Amino acid sequence: MREHVVALYRSAYRWTGSVDRAEDLVQQLLVRLYPRLAELRELDRLRPWATRVMYRIFVDELRRERASPVQFGAEASVDPEMPAGEGEAWLDPGPGPAELAEQELTQERLVRAWERLGQEHRVVLSLHDIEDYTLPELAQIMDIPLGTLKSRLHRARARLRELLAAERIIAADRV
Amino acid sequence: MKGKDEIGLNVADDDFQTLRQALRRMPTPEPRAGFVERALARAAAQPRSQQAESLPGRLRNFALRWETWAGAALGGAVAAALTLVLLRTVDTPAVSPQPQLALVLNEARNVDVLIDSERELKGATIRIVASGSIALDGFDDERYVDWQADLERGSNLLSLPVVARTAGKGRLVAVIEYQGRTQQVAVDLTVVEPKTSRS
Repeated sequence: MREHVVALYRSAYRWTGSVDRAEDLVQQLLVRLYPRLAELRELDRLRPWATRVMYRIFVDELRRERASPVQFGAEASVDPEMPAGEGEAWLDPGPGPAELAEQELTQERLVRAWERLGQEHRVVLSLHDIEDYTLPELAQIMDIPLGTLKSRLHRARARLRELLAAERIIAADRV
Repeated sequence: MKGKDEIGLNVADDDFQTLRQALRRMPTPEPRAGFVERALARAAAQPRSQQAESLPGRLRNFALRWETWAGAALGGAVAAALTLVLLRTVDTPAVSPQPQLALVLNEARNVDVLIDSERELKGATIRIVASGSIALDGFDDERYVDWQADLERGSNLLSLPVVARTAGKGRLVAVIEYQGRTQQVAVDLTVVEPKTSRS
């Protein structure tokens, strides 16, 4: 388990955007998994299984936060649970691929855009586009139908592009 | 050559790969120094109740009681204090002054044993021996039960369910074994006949 902890922490950080919350999430995961160590040793691929458990803990926390008057900061400007297609009308499609290629995709801009991305969008982009989980694997981890997952991934990418475009404008204003 | 990714985006046209590569290079801060060790240690310290799930039947419930009482304030039952001194060079068991407790025949009561450990003890063996007029509730046919548990640094409270089976003297002994060293605490109990009212 030890060898996976840092990788799980990195996932948690990308989801939460906070060292404190990422560490909390991993801590909760370990507490939950520790009694099942013997069972875990039998698993061929521990990481996806652990990621699935961590994702469930994360979603439970998000639900609690949403039900709570105390929020962890302004995130999730797009409702991640919104059905596919809804809400896309107001989404600025953002720069096209050619524009993206022309722009300098600075790390700073990307990090700022990522920070403004909704947490569920971060999860799906993190797991699919960064960690290379396949869609069927991801559907299992997130426990959602494949179609819903595809829509969510599509919206997450669109939203990220939109935020990157906004960052470009902000950066231009700064200059 | 153009290709499509899993959701059908034309990745070459879309140039999403550029963004994807940038995402992969996105920095993530390392966890704080020592986080992994701390997190694993905390996880290991938590699951006494879950560790007990591997224990068979009645012992499982008994061990769960340990978890329930750990860290709780002393209740109304008798508490016996045992200090584990791990640097002790002599291995002879140190027996604390024995508290006394009276039970009425057939009375069931929890006897709390306070175990004060100077440091965390992972995988200590706890053995409970009930003799004489008393028995551990649910363990009438067994002279002792033992199991392994992690003791935290500081106070650990073990609540032992005792039942008075016959009138007379009884003794309850909790033995802690750790890395070949043994310490114990004992509670003497007297079981008395219930008072009968005269008409």
